[in-house]
Amino acid sequence: MNWLSGWLDRFRPDGKPQLSDGQLERLRRWQALPAHDWQQDSRSTRYLVVDVEASGLRIRHDHLISIGAVALDRGVINPADAFETVLRQDTVSSTENILIHGISGSEQREGLEPAEALLRFLEYSGHTPLVAYHAYFDQAMIAQAMRRFLGIRYQPKWLDLAWLMPALFPDRYCNTVALDEWLDTFGIENFQRHNAISDCLATAQLLQVALQRAAERGIDTPQALAASESRRRRDSW
Amino acid sequence: MSRTANATLVSATVEFLRKHSPFDRMEDAALAFLGQHAKLAYYPKDSLILTPDMGPPPHFFVVQRGKVLSREDGEAASGNVIIGSGECFPIGAASGQRATICTYSAVDDVFCYQLDNQDFQQLLLISPVFNRFCASHISTLLSQSRKQMQAQFSQRALEQQSMATKLHELCKRPPVTARADDPLETVLTLMGETGVGSIVIVNEAGIAQGIFTQSDVLKRVVLPKLALDCPISQVMSRKPHTLPQDATAYDAALAMAMHGIRHVLAVDDDNLVQGVISERDLFAMQRVGLRQLRYAVETAADIDTLQQVGRDLRQFTMNMLGQGVGAEQLTQFISALNDGITRRVIELNLQRHDLYGVDWAWLSFGSEGREEQTFSTDQDNGIIYLCPEAMDKDQLNMRLLDFARDVNADLDRCGFPLCKGNIMAGNPEWCLTLEEWQEKFARWIRAPDPVALLNASIFFDFRPLYGKRYLANQLHKRLLALSQDNSVFQRMLADNALTVAPPLGLLRDFSTEEYNGQGGYIDLKKSAARLFVDAARVLALAKGIAASSTIKRLERAAKQTGSAPEETAAIIDAFNFIQMLRLRHQHLEDEHGRPGDNLIQPDKLNPLDRRILKESFRQARKLQQKLKVMYQL
Repeated sequence: MNWLSGWLDRFRPDGKPQLSDGQLERLRRWQALPAHDWQQDSRSTRYLVVDVEASGLRIRHDHLISIGAVALDRGVINPADAFETVLRQDTVSSTENILIHGISGSEQREGLEPAEALLRFLEYSGHTPLVAYHAYFDQAMIAQAMRRFLGIRYQPKWLDLAWLMPALFPDRYCNTVALDEWLDTFGIENFQRHNAISDCLATAQLLQVALQRAAERGIDTPQALAASESRRRRDSW
Repeated sequence: MSRTANATLVSATVEFLRKHSPFDRMEDAALAFLGQHAKLAYYPKDSLILTPDMGPPPHFFVVQRGKVLSREDGEAASGNVIIGSGECFPIGAASGQRATICTYSAVDDVFCYQLDNQDFQQLLLISPVFNRFCASHISTLLSQSRKQMQAQFSQRALEQQSMATKLHELCKRPPVTARADDPLETVLTLMGETGVGSIVIVNEAGIAQGIFTQSDVLKRVVLPKLALDCPISQVMSRKPHTLPQDATAYDAALAMAMHGIRHVLAVDDDNLVQGVISERDLFAMQRVGLRQLRYAVETAADIDTLQQVGRDLRQFTMNMLGQGVGAEQLTQFISALNDGITRRVIELNLQRHDLYGVDWAWLSFGSEGREEQTFSTDQDNGIIYLCPEAMDKDQLNMRLLDFARDVNADLDRCGFPLCKGNIMAGNPEWCLTLEEWQEKFARWIRAPDPVALLNASIFFDFRPLYGKRYLANQLHKRLLALSQDNSVFQRMLADNALTVAPPLGLLRDFSTEEYNGQGGYIDLKKSAARLFVDAARVLALAKGIAASSTIKRLERAAKQTGSAPEETAAIIDAFNFIQMLRLRHQHLEDEHGRPGDNLIQPDKLNPLDRRILKESFRQARKLQQKLKVMYQL
């Protein structure tokens, strides 16, 4: 079983999964990309809203099935700037799970070879600031897969709208709530719940609202957003 | 970076667009192109989206969510238009690649699809549907103008009329509620006992969880043969739409229209349900005014009461104007209520004048005959009758004239001034037997001198208002038989219809006239509406069309000659626009205490209306051109 061997890889002396020379080269090229300037003005920044689907919600036991990403580039969402991949699964996730994200068994089996899928995601995203709703889950699932299939520690900075929203709109909700509550608040429709791209689109629209509000309050760089997010987290203790 | 558009995102856009005109008719390939190229942007409340000083618009916008206000620069609230979900802007400026006239701003949080200018141009090329949509300037502008007028009037109108009623005033009784786990049987019994059309399902806190309505019974219970012990939660509609109870009936109507729902819950500050507003409540409410007025007219005990009702009527029609009701419906509506008043005046007078055993009918002529009355309408009427053999004709004629004069005088008191040309039933010349009328009509058609032609333009637009309709029908048959046979008469009538040309200027937009020593006027009746009315009459008399209204005449004539429906629609739109201008103008004059006339100054119209008026005159010219070709004039 591949996932088992992948898991066992961690105990091998070199601890590295087997990658082709071409893949290693692509990985190096990504690593060599310049870091993103988080002090840059939000209005000219490209953000990437990410949503993953996994075999379940347990970070340690479940694994990544798909990654969806929709860019918010200089304030607009362009259908040509989006990313979607399914990682090939040797063991198809449970029926209940399939019913949630709608990625069928055959789609899971016919997905891309995981290392390839992840490389493509790295190439697409570069070092663009990543945004998610309840980011810890997306963050953990992607990092876990990166370690397992590419042998890298993937630790980009994420912005988490679940905390940013209450920081920016304390009059609406002062704590983290489900994504749908915010979507309802701003009348944003999620036309296909639990489809990674559809979730990303709805979240990206929420990010549009958030960035605008942030700018009105002088929070106009990714750095400043990250700061108000962590302040909000701290205050919730 | 991936540069082909993401299929899921494209389909999200396409699904949305497909729900709105003109995208619902758009070719699949063009729609896909739009889905691939439209970018989604967000504009917070009160931000500017597009202004004239941006030059040619960088994007073409389709509102996904929220409301956009378009406001003409330099003008007060008069030129405001609200653009809602699924509507697009700026059509004219984007097609013409010129700066916009209006400033577009976000009324609330707005999400917009934006199509870059080059993609917009491309779309015009690949989609004939879209191209036509943008090109059919006049109709688009017309609807815009209608909305503008709505904005102009709605504020005043809304204050008095029912659509501004707050929902809590509208809720007649507290909502009938059930709990989610109540079995169907209990709920249906409750519905039966209380006689309500809908049950609100609430949780223990009183917050609405769902709604179940009468129409759901058939679809969700009877047809699927559901067991009656099922919990109601299984069949209720979840997440019912709520509005604060101080929202207005108009908000409720809007919500229903936008979400395609039939019920809205009114909630208080704590989100507790206070009542259910159904679509029917709103419909009923809109008709209340009308029904009350009708009832008041039909039962008015005397002329004084009718006088008062006549004043209310004017107020009510003004409200309708504010609601954006179109000119055609509005003029018909005015005619219908005027008919009601006239009938009641006749009935009241019949109590004093015995006409028992006589077959007679009251005829209306002119604009009343065409059902195209505006606010200022004087009387044009007559009587048609048969003299029973046993009666002395002169004596009967005297009786009818006595009666008619009383009716004429009473109508005058009720707001229909006496006819300056004395075209009234009380005038012996227009109180005639069927044979006399037929003879008169035949004479005018045989010898169409100027007087005869003038008479034709008034009397040939007749319809019966009270009494024996068959008399009028026989007269109509005779008229059409005579006119269809006589091409000389038709030609003369056509020639007469062409004596007034549309007031389009050679150098300036309009050629205007002087009134009371002041220049710059156009008479909307004489040099605008009449052009359409006269041409339509020629067509009707030539083709044997029995309708008396201009629009019906034009429509039927087009059907008979097989001319393009768009062409006819454009002509009718133009006529309606002119009628609407007349109504609006007369109404404003009335508010300022001046007698309503038809004189407008095109320079004082806003730029949009001016452009449409010009286009309307072009349509009149087109219609006249048709007549010229038909009769080789």
